[in-house]
Amino acid sequence: MLSGGSDGVIVLYDLENSSRKPYYTCKALCSIDRNHPDVHKYSVETVQWYPHDTGMFTSSSFDKTLKVWDTNTLQTADVFNFEETVYSHHMSPVATKHCLVAVGTRGPKVQLCDLKSGSCSHILQGHRQEILAVSWSPRYDYILATASADSRVKLWDVRRASGCLITLDQHNGKKSQAVESANTAHNGKVNGLCFTSDGLHLLTVGTDNRMRLWNSSNGENTLVNYGKVCNNSRKGLKFTVSCGCSSEFVFVPYGSTIAVYTVYSGEQITMLKGHYKSVDCCVFQSNFQELYSGSRDCNILAWVPSLYEPVPDDDETTTKSQLNPAFEDAWSSTDEEG
Amino acid sequence: MSRKRHCLVPETFGLKRRRERGPVEADPLRGESGSARAALAELVQLFPRGLFEDALPPIALRSQVYSLVPDRTVADRQLKELQERGEIRIIQLGFDLDAHGIIFTEDYRTRVLKACDGRPYAGAVQKFLTSVLPACGDLSFQQDQMTQTFGFRDPEITHLVNAGVLTVRDAGSWWLAVPGAGRFIKYFVKGRQVVLGMVRKAKYRELLLSELLGRRAPATVRLGLAYHVHDLIGAQLVDCISTSSGTLLRLPET
Repeated sequence: MLSGGSDGVIVLYDLENSSRKPYYTCKALCSIDRNHPDVHKYSVETVQWYPHDTGMFTSSSFDKTLKVWDTNTLQTADVFNFEETVYSHHMSPVATKHCLVAVGTRGPKVQLCDLKSGSCSHILQGHRQEILAVSWSPRYDYILATASADSRVKLWDVRRASGCLITLDQHNGKKSQAVESANTAHNGKVNGLCFTSDGLHLLTVGTDNRMRLWNSSNGENTLVNYGKVCNNSRKGLKFTVSCGCSSEFVFVPYGSTIAVYTVYSGEQITMLKGHYKSVDCCVFQSNFQELYSGSRDCNILAWVPSLYEPVPDDDETTTKSQLNPAFEDAWSSTDEEG
Repeated sequence: MSRKRHCLVPETFGLKRRRERGPVEADPLRGESGSARAALAELVQLFPRGLFEDALPPIALRSQVYSLVPDRTVADRQLKELQERGEIRIIQLGFDLDAHGIIFTEDYRTRVLKACDGRPYAGAVQKFLTSVLPACGDLSFQQDQMTQTFGFRDPEITHLVNAGVLTVRDAGSWWLAVPGAGRFIKYFVKGRQVVLGMVRKAKYRELLLSELLGRRAPATVRLGLAYHVHDLIGAQLVDCISTSSGTLLRLPET
């Protein structure tokens, strides 16, 4: 697992639990620390593995750069410089025809950088304030969603020259081309974006303390109500959706806990308590079915689903607890090294 | 500084045995009606008509419906259905972009007609009520919609804004509004702050629901304690915790 810290350090961890104990610490394999000549000067905001293999990864930071690293040698292969601080970047997980990285910066234009040629290939105009989150669709190669501080979320087809496809409207008003400017997805800044694993729905969180689920093909608000999802982050919030569960869950950082909701019904399952300070990001590993979360208290925690105990057949069983035991907190803590 | 520790260490580590959820005993305010419609009918009873001399239609809030219908997604969907059928109108109340007022269409129509009786803009308002309201169930209207689809000219739109039926949202778009709702909004915002203050000043910042309802409403709370409590619960401005002595309202930590 790749993690970037607010001191500019990037660390790689080995997530395999070979000790077979329920509480374990993941080892840090290597890190790009403050002594490295190419280390980021300020906080690393987003890190992402190259979608097709782990030979390469990208990281973007408040020092206005996006760096492409070679994992085996831990050297920068390429650096993209921007005029404003970079809030978020994303590379398409399914694209085979292009190697574009979408970058959201403090300026209102979304930049698309091409890894093959090493330059910014084009710019998407349409937002009015800083872009806090970008995400490619896991279903279509060319569909990109961007979220901005001007309360708007726009869906783009990057091949089209004429502007965005849809601006999401929380009230589901009548679609009318002339007044897309009035459509807002949230009543505050939109901080985070996450497509569901099949790419059919899009989740957005905003500083109006709401999370909304949208149908990504027509931009309709499905009106699933998750209640108040506290969001005080001034920059992007990274949240995640489970993959491979029978009813998908969304894990959202909620203050110093992580709230777990079912995606399509909006019901809150539980709050994962374990961090001491506010949680900034979380990510789900579908192969292990584990959740990893990073917080301001300098810890990364791994949340492991606790399994049902096999029920013996002939006993009269006592009624099970109503709470879904699949996400009870089994503590595993990792320490940052170096 | 909060003297009471709300999150005890054994709770985090899961050492306490989780209590079985027994049947929730009937509380004066909680979990009665299953449907949004029944909830609305109940909430409309709570609205103090006499306070506004019957000039305002009874307004319920979306957050109040959430406190009566436990599943929010179902409540939203049912309200959307009622809106599409034309039985209710949803109004944007100015103070909070999230707070939506819900009014039965019939009540809205009668009150607006009564309010603009004999005034110079009565004609434009009549035209609006007959042609636009049944056709378009949204919260807001756009410039080209009004001029092209419904044939309103600019002076007529100005009449509608003067009558209080439309409020400016952006250049070329308007929210639907209730004429005379300013007083209601003023009382509501004040009352919400006062009721929230009552919970905040209590020891440990928590109050039993029955005790809160039993207190005498301060003079600034004109709309009634029950009205405000439904709104606070539904808007999640207080946490509802069920205890053996009834529902407890506690201010959230964050």
